Amino acid sequence: MIRGLIRFLVTAALLPLLVATSLLAQNADSSPSAQPPLDHASAQQKGSQSSPLPNAPAPPASSNEPSLSDLGFTTQQTQGDPKLQATLDKRTTMLRIHQKVGLITAIPMLATLITGPMAKAKGKNGQPIKEPTQANLDFHAALGGTTTALYFTTAYFAIRAPRIPGSHKHGGTRVHEALAFIHGPGMILTPILGIMAYKQESAGEKVHGIASAHGPVAVTTAAAYGAAIVAVSWPIHWKFWEKQ
Amino acid sequence: MRILTLLALALVASPAISQKDVDWILIQSTLTYHMSHPMHQVDGVSHAARGKGICHAGQCDFLIAAPVKSFDSGDTNRDLHMLETTRGAQFPMVVVRAHFPESETTESTIYADLDVQFAGQTAHYSHVAFQRTGQGNQVHIAGTVPATCSDFKIDRPSFLTVPIKNEIPIKVEMTWKSS
Repeated sequence: MIRGLIRFLVTAALLPLLVATSLLAQNADSSPSAQPPLDHASAQQKGSQSSPLPNAPAPPASSNEPSLSDLGFTTQQTQGDPKLQATLDKRTTMLRIHQKVGLITAIPMLATLITGPMAKAKGKNGQPIKEPTQANLDFHAALGGTTTALYFTTAYFAIRAPRIPGSHKHGGTRVHEALAFIHGPGMILTPILGIMAYKQESAGEKVHGIASAHGPVAVTTAAAYGAAIVAVSWPIHWKFWEKQ
Repeated sequence: MRILTLLALALVASPAISQKDVDWILIQSTLTYHMSHPMHQVDGVSHAARGKGICHAGQCDFLIAAPVKSFDSGDTNRDLHMLETTRGAQFPMVVVRAHFPESETTESTIYADLDVQFAGQTAHYSHVAFQRTGQGNQVHIAGTVPATCSDFKIDRPSFLTVPIKNEIPIKVEMTWKSS
């Protein structure tokens, strides 16, 4: 039974990762960043409004007009960096997948939390214990496995997204990342404790020892995960009635 | 004969002397873009703009530029996404050229024609009103550039599948000093 559960968890972990990786490959192929860096020059020539050179200011109409060099900006500041643009594009693509898969993960996570009490033996010490049905246990375990797989897929896209040199983290992103130090270990501990609890319950025992922390750890993890979603969306102003 | 020549020279030279060039330097600025989404209202602020203006022969030409990455919305991730969406690494500067008659430099409202270069595109805005308040040789200018994402062919970012509003008005507050 345990072997079967482990096999299920491994399969569930690998499938979304494979799907997401192929998604990323498709996005990378269609994104501008996949094009050679020099392609931007040809793209700029399409519109009559485009500049012939990266960010080159339109030449002054008369010699009296000030030019960009008069303002004291260095060439490094005014010249385009296609390599950095490609890195930004890749970063955005990866973080978009991170956001989508992350939001999807919240669904089975919530369902796992809801089904948790149904997969728990009930009864006080010294009284007859009411064991959960095998179906309830399996359903809860399957939801937990799916959540774990999706969670680590989400984490992969955040961790592997390229870092931008010189950018100092501040704002909601910082809180979002800090909360990963709570839900990250939580998502490692919860399935381990869950497997231990499953084993004990399947053996007809009431969950005991460290396995009894499965529930509280799961709740803490889910709360930190929810807070991380809110933090990155903060401040929220509900204005759905405004015309787009 | 010599006197006549001198008189003729004086007549020719007098308009040139009377229309003396006036140079303006931007000494302080706050540029703020506003982004609207049903769930978010975001302001990105930059104080890094530099500018120069020349008034010559009755016409004023001003140039203002700021690095795109200098806009701070209060969140690193959002700023980097803005930089990506606006192709800010490829086109790192937002450059504004303003043109208006020199006579308006003493008016309380200046109506300027603007050419804004941003995200690899140039958009033209006619007759944009700026409020002018002056103290000595320093002038404070305030106004809003009615920019939109479509003006610069920017793909509107979306959150929860809902894109941001097309309008991204840029509030301008600047202090200029004349030479």
